[in-house]
Amino acid sequence: MNSPWPLLITLTYVAIAMVIGLRARAGRSMNSLEEWGVAGRSMGPVTLYLLIAAGSVSAYTFMGAPGWAYSKGVAVFYVAIYLSYLALVAWYFGPKVWQFGEQFGHVTQASAISDRYQSPALGALAALVMAIGSIAYAVLQTIGSAYILFVMSGGLIPIWLGVVLVLACIAVYLYASGQRAIGRTNAFQGVLMLIVAWAVGLWAVHSATGGLSFVGVFERIQAEHSEFLTLPGAGGDMSFSFWTTSIIVSMFSFMPPVWTQWMSASSARTIRRSATWLPTYYVVILPMVVVGFIGIFSLPELARADTVVLEYAMQHLPVVLVGLLGAGTLAASMSSSEPFIHSVSLSLSKDVLQPVLKLSDGVTGKLARLLILPIMFFVVAPLAIAEPGSLVMILLVGLGFASQVLPAFIGMFFWPRASRLGVMAGIVAGFLITVAFTTLWPHPMGIHAGFWGLMLNLPVFVAVSLITPATHAEVVERFFRIAAPRGFTQRGRRAAV
Amino acid sequence: MERLLVLPTSRAGWGLLIAFVVLVLAGTWPVIGWVNRATLVMGLPLLVVWSYLVIFACVVVMLIGNRIVERDDHE
Repeated sequence: MNSPWPLLITLTYVAIAMVIGLRARAGRSMNSLEEWGVAGRSMGPVTLYLLIAAGSVSAYTFMGAPGWAYSKGVAVFYVAIYLSYLALVAWYFGPKVWQFGEQFGHVTQASAISDRYQSPALGALAALVMAIGSIAYAVLQTIGSAYILFVMSGGLIPIWLGVVLVLACIAVYLYASGQRAIGRTNAFQGVLMLIVAWAVGLWAVHSATGGLSFVGVFERIQAEHSEFLTLPGAGGDMSFSFWTTSIIVSMFSFMPPVWTQWMSASSARTIRRSATWLPTYYVVILPMVVVGFIGIFSLPELARADTVVLEYAMQHLPVVLVGLLGAGTLAASMSSSEPFIHSVSLSLSKDVLQPVLKLSDGVTGKLARLLILPIMFFVVAPLAIAEPGSLVMILLVGLGFASQVLPAFIGMFFWPRASRLGVMAGIVAGFLITVAFTTLWPHPMGIHAGFWGLMLNLPVFVAVSLITPATHAEVVERFFRIAAPRGFTQRGRRAAV
Repeated sequence: MERLLVLPTSRAGWGLLIAFVVLVLAGTWPVIGWVNRATLVMGLPLLVVWSYLVIFACVVVMLIGNRIVERDDHE
């Protein structure tokens, strides 16, 4: 690609994101955890909608999802369904998490776990292990960002330089404006992604069929490659059981940045309003996936499936749209990596270093801001540059673990009798099964490893909880006045909290 | 308190819970198997159309939920 326009457009996007991120601070001091961590609990419904939407739509939507459509077919739509189910999860749990944060001063997920079970050790354990999955996710997104800069510059910006450039940009505005920067930049990135996805998708359809309707694309797929229109897909590996268990495991993976986003809302009602409309954003996936389907007959010999949109764009689309695609893909990866980097820094400072080093809240607030730098440049950057082959494995294990923390949340929202030891035992049992069924015997019987983990985790959690001491009654009552404001149901009767 | 479990305490609450469960069932097996056919509806694969029906049904259920929660005036 010889034109300078794609790179210029992509770099213009980066410059705009930086300005928005830096201005988000608006003269406020960012040295408190409340301000840097959860934006002073101030975000309105539109910002929150775009914050959560853009955060959940990663580079996967612009690269991985079309790649799945190209190699497997409609199986890719499990992603759109589970993202919508995550909106249901946000609708129900988000307002309660917000109230926990507002009333008890939590700024992280691990703080809430530590408080509910009166166990800083359990909070620190949750923070540390969640950090593994979060960092792996941030590394994958950073690799995606660097790859986009590499392609848009025609190879002039090598991967290592792209990694450093992207992380440096994020570091500047993340340090300066914290969660406010994430909110504002994600809002911008969310709108940009939606426009770019539909512009690229419709243009690609026009170039492939001569019209703007998707009908021509799918009629051709139906006639020539109908196996792409059903499960288990063209690869034969997306069974009903894997589709179902992947959705369920993903739905119950309460990742820490999502909690931080909920706690950044201006009110419980704001979260409910944003969550209600959140599924509408996932129309962003459709046009990108259609380009993947076009690739099935236009680019049949592609070496890497996840480059299908970029390859098609560079061969068939005007350079301005190629540049916008670069900007949109970069926006998708940056908007997903920055919340994870932020939440790792926030949680390690608040839930690990503060209790261990007995730090004050003021010092912890400053530490959280500074900690993003070593996390980015000594952990994320080397891993992204090295591109370790096991990274996807680390991510899968990390996300598998995320779902294993489910007992902690059951005890927070549904079951007062849940005990600290019950949660720990369930997590350890579930984690070991998830690791084994991810690495040694991947997804037995076509069922997701995290689902196998939950099947052992939950009975162990219940059994150990019933034979070990419960948390102090006053702590449990404090939580369940929010989780069950109208009391409990016991064998058909209602009981007050 | 030790044997208590948080469940809906009103008919509207139970209705919402059932609606949430129906939505999750609609997007998973066995229901997804019933729409797993290589046919096109409005020019789109049946599974894609069904996925977006489920997605927009989520919005409708949450809109109804908002009315119930705000009518009952509690968070």
